[in-house]
Amino acid sequence: MEFNKIRELLDRYWEGESSLEDEAQLRSFFSTNRQDLPADLKEAQPLFGYFAAEAAIELPELPEMEAPVVQMPPPRPWEHWMKYAAIFLMAVGVGYAARSFQSRQERILFADANHDTYNDPQKAFAATQKALQLLAKNLNKGTSQVQKLSYFNEATEKLKAE
Amino acid sequence: MSLALFLSEVVPVRPKLYRFAYRLLGNEEDAMDVVQDALMKVWQQQERMTELQNLEAWCMRIVRNLALDRLKSKKYRRSEELERAGDVPAMQQQNPYAAAEQQDVMKRVHSIIASLPEKYRTIIQLRDIDGYSYLEIADILAIEMADVKINLHRARKSVREQLQKVQVYGVQ
Repeated sequence: MEFNKIRELLDRYWEGESSLEDEAQLRSFFSTNRQDLPADLKEAQPLFGYFAAEAAIELPELPEMEAPVVQMPPPRPWEHWMKYAAIFLMAVGVGYAARSFQSRQERILFADANHDTYNDPQKAFAATQKALQLLAKNLNKGTSQVQKLSYFNEATEKLKAE
Repeated sequence: MSLALFLSEVVPVRPKLYRFAYRLLGNEEDAMDVVQDALMKVWQQQERMTELQNLEAWCMRIVRNLALDRLKSKKYRRSEELERAGDVPAMQQQNPYAAAEQQDVMKRVHSIIASLPEKYRTIIQLRDIDGYSYLEIADILAIEMADVKINLHRARKSVREQLQKVQVYGVQ
């Protein structure tokens, strides 16, 4: 029976599970004017009638498009000369800064390597000796303190042994 | 390249975009404006045209967003039912009485669908009047396909309940 098939399609339709073909079948079924439909099918009749009527509404013609599309002019490489000039100047600036920094560094190192503090070897020897003596003195101070500590250690060990 | 694409893929869907905008706005002039704005927008984003799989859905989405913006910004009201009544074509002109009754039924269905939330209404229109697939509707509304089905089911359920009410009690 055709109605049963339509009922099945309608069930799927209400569930939101119908395919486009199912819906096309429903539309064509309801598009023929039917007076003798069972009540359950009748409820969907106005809806499909409405869909058909809405789809058939004629809207006024859209005016022709007035070519809103403007062809872009071909890119001209010299158009952005300032950009390239700025990049070039930046590169020159960075290069120059790097070079001058490097040469200055070299000059400082060179000057350090060749700079003597004393011209007279005797005086240089005396100054070195003085510096080493100061170092030795301070070292001795340290060792004497450590020696004292070792006395304490010995004493505590003796006490522990007793 | 994109000009050719624009002319071959976008320009031919203008009538569909117009129809869609008209349904959302209920006004021919505004619908035309929105379609024009949408096409401008599409052209401005022409670099995206080649990436997109479904240009039509993308255009529809732009139209919808513009139409909804317009509705919001203008505190726009859809034209009143009485004004719209003339737009519903008479189906079968057997006799004046039947024709008037038919018109009445159409008006009722129209107002049931018009009273749905915008999302439901749009989904019903896209599916049942324009015949878009679930996937296309998902693309147009930028939602998941499962959500399209859920929303369509809810929309149809709501329409059905109201239709039953009208048929049983003759009220809306």
